[in-house]
Amino acid sequence: MLEAGMLEATYASAVSARRMRSIQGAAVLIIAIGLACWAAEVRPLTLISKIGNFTSYIDRMFQLESGARVWTDPAEWFWGLWKWLGLLRDTLLMAYVGTLAGAFIGFLFCFAASSNLMKSKWVCQGFKRLLEFNRTVPELVFALLFVYAFGLGPVPGVIAIAIHTIGAMGKLFAEVVENIDMKPVEGIAASGGTWVQQIRFAVLPQVQTNFISYTLLRFEVNVRAAAVIGFVGAGGIGDELLTSIRRFYYSDVSAIIVMLILTVMVIDYCTEKLRHRLLGGEVHA
Amino acid sequence: MLRITGLSRSYTGRFAAENINIEIPRGSFVGVIGRSGAGKSTLLRMINRLVDPTAGTIEFDGLNVTTLTGAGLRGWRMRCAMIFQQFNLVGRVDVLTNVLMGRLGHMPAWRAMLKIWSREDRLIALAALDQMGIANLAAQRADQLSGGQQQRVAICRALVQEPDIILADEPIASLDPRNTKLVMDQLLRINRELGITVICNLHSLDLARTYCDRLIGMAQGRVVFNDVPAGLTEDIARELYGLEAGEVMAAQHAETVTA
Amino acid sequence: MSASLPTSSRRDAMLADAAGLAERHAALLGPAWRSELTGWIVAAALFALFCFGLWQLGFTFTMLTHGGSQMLVILQVMLPPNPETWARVVFYLGQLAETLGIAFLGTLIAAIIAFPLGFLAARNVVSNLFIHVIARRVFDTVRAIDVLIWALLWINVVGLGPFAGVLAIACSDIGSFAKLFSEAIEASDRKAVEGVLSSGGTWTQAVRYGVLPQVLPVITSQVLYYFESNTRSATIIGIVGAGGIGLSLSEMIRTVEWQQVSFIVVLMLITVSAIDYVSTLLRRSIIGPSSI
Repeated sequence: MLEAGMLEATYASAVSARRMRSIQGAAVLIIAIGLACWAAEVRPLTLISKIGNFTSYIDRMFQLESGARVWTDPAEWFWGLWKWLGLLRDTLLMAYVGTLAGAFIGFLFCFAASSNLMKSKWVCQGFKRLLEFNRTVPELVFALLFVYAFGLGPVPGVIAIAIHTIGAMGKLFAEVVENIDMKPVEGIAASGGTWVQQIRFAVLPQVQTNFISYTLLRFEVNVRAAAVIGFVGAGGIGDELLTSIRRFYYSDVSAIIVMLILTVMVIDYCTEKLRHRLLGGEVHA
Repeated sequence: MLRITGLSRSYTGRFAAENINIEIPRGSFVGVIGRSGAGKSTLLRMINRLVDPTAGTIEFDGLNVTTLTGAGLRGWRMRCAMIFQQFNLVGRVDVLTNVLMGRLGHMPAWRAMLKIWSREDRLIALAALDQMGIANLAAQRADQLSGGQQQRVAICRALVQEPDIILADEPIASLDPRNTKLVMDQLLRINRELGITVICNLHSLDLARTYCDRLIGMAQGRVVFNDVPAGLTEDIARELYGLEAGEVMAAQHAETVTA
Repeated sequence: MSASLPTSSRRDAMLADAAGLAERHAALLGPAWRSELTGWIVAAALFALFCFGLWQLGFTFTMLTHGGSQMLVILQVMLPPNPETWARVVFYLGQLAETLGIAFLGTLIAAIIAFPLGFLAARNVVSNLFIHVIARRVFDTVRAIDVLIWALLWINVVGLGPFAGVLAIACSDIGSFAKLFSEAIEASDRKAVEGVLSSGGTWTQAVRYGVLPQVLPVITSQVLYYFESNTRSATIIGIVGAGGIGLSLSEMIRTVEWQQVSFIVVLMLITVSAIDYVSTLLRRSIIGPSSI
């Protein structure tokens, strides 16, 4: 009996300790929510009073000027199809060029940022910090700056995407390189291979599938980024979308968003298939 | 002639190798023996300069190896090929390309980068594989080979460097008895037929006695024995291996017999 | 001990059977470029498309050099970062707080809404294939719309300001969260559910005591990770008018106050890095270092 009582007491105290921690956690969370609501000027009443706006906005998006539903007259809904397709093509090209350029430079930098290949600690840390900077500054911020320097159009957008991609890819690549098996590298070093040859023949075969797979994933991300980078005047379909939203061309907004969603889904699907083939080939080869 | 004088390597106060003095004439087959952690590996790695010595010099035919850098260092590494316990091949690459890695120093850099091997280089690599009896595996991926086959590929890579010395760091430690004999026989053949100096780290005393024409015994980073195999008495073996001695000799004796 | 052979005769010895070798391994001795042919073709195609892209998007040499030199000038003017007055610093810090608030609330709202949706789309909770497939499609659709587009839409509804930002982040993450949550739920161990069911528990109880304890740490960690990336998003949604520090950033660029711009960028970098650091620590304490 005594033992059972003790057990019960231990259990109760353990439970109450856990409960105490949960209460503390909840208190912290509630305070944080309160502070955040205050800082972000959350106005639930506004939301409730204006939620009608949202539904009517969505409703209007699927209405033509004439008041008919958009799907009753697809030709009218997608009246700017060819113009928008051209802009979409530019958007995809922006993502492609930015991804390729960024991934290539990130690829060149990642070896210098890998502590197992770069013996000089200073150089390695220097490259790591540079990549981190490129990664942390959002591409839209770069785009704002470059639009000022290069003028409006896709060029600043591509450069912004490329620079952000250098950071994002370089960091990921360096992490992959830091996890390789170093024995082949040593083997090539011991037979008189240069640093570049060690990378070419001992590092690359170990990392190339991962690198390509990450680059494909990044391309997906960059397609989304290229679609909105036009909001700051840096080319692609974003500019057109912004104008439609700001000028309340409701059915254009929905048409462009539908096209964007389809594009993103197709790209996601294709890259996923490619990556599976790549990784699958790796297993079978 | 490889002349090593006063060679030391220390890691924050602890000596991995201390004041090593040896001379190795061309064409000899030298076994370096001792317990694991005795400094055998450090010695071989210093000769190839994978590890930099903290003191002392390595000299080969009048060339001071210890001060080499850059292209000079790579040139030296081409002349003293290395074979590792774990083979150190590039697993995802085919066997022939792995062997061709040994030719990197013999070709222009751009050709190497684009993997455009000359016909002669490929012939040399194939000849080496053929002599090891594994030419039929040339197109396979290296990581699909057995340990013994991989080590023979590694020997081919060393061989096509056209080296003066082959350093073998515990080449048979990861192999079964049959492959042990195969690999050691090949090293001996290379030594006898091509006159390449072989310096081989071995854990097993019996193998060392069978194959080497000179033995260097190391303990705690120092050379404690340097003579022909016949000079290795039971007492010295006990000094080299401590309590392990009886065990090492008996066990490995049994191994070679079954092999 | 044999005498050392000169190198040339060593090679002759090795190549004694060169003709025989060439005959036996003709396939390996063909033109060197042939084995790499597919690789070269793919590379050439990628490069051609790259060049076409550069041309189509209007890259010109003069434009790049002119823009580049312009950028260098801006960089020089930017340094050192200088907010000029303390009042500005306080103002920016307030906007940073707003940014964090947006990210925090947006993430939280998305997580709360996505939580039940995650169960709906999890195959082992709702076994109706139709619901499952439809739910996944809807999530993918929502996911495909960028946070900035959501921000613009919400601005039209609730007006300019941080509240639109909160709603934008919430909307853009619901899809991702619901998908991730449902995957976490599907990956949970069935044995715990069977345990609860076999001792007479209802289906709801099985989910509450069998699934929830397993998925909660995973979900919390994912929410933290998204909070991290939403902090980045929240810094830029101000550019389109949805609150946070981005508003000041675009304002300062428009009025070419470059030292203010660099100061804001530095503030953004510090905040994002700090949040990264804290969230990594938290995630590590929740699910252990291995899965990060």
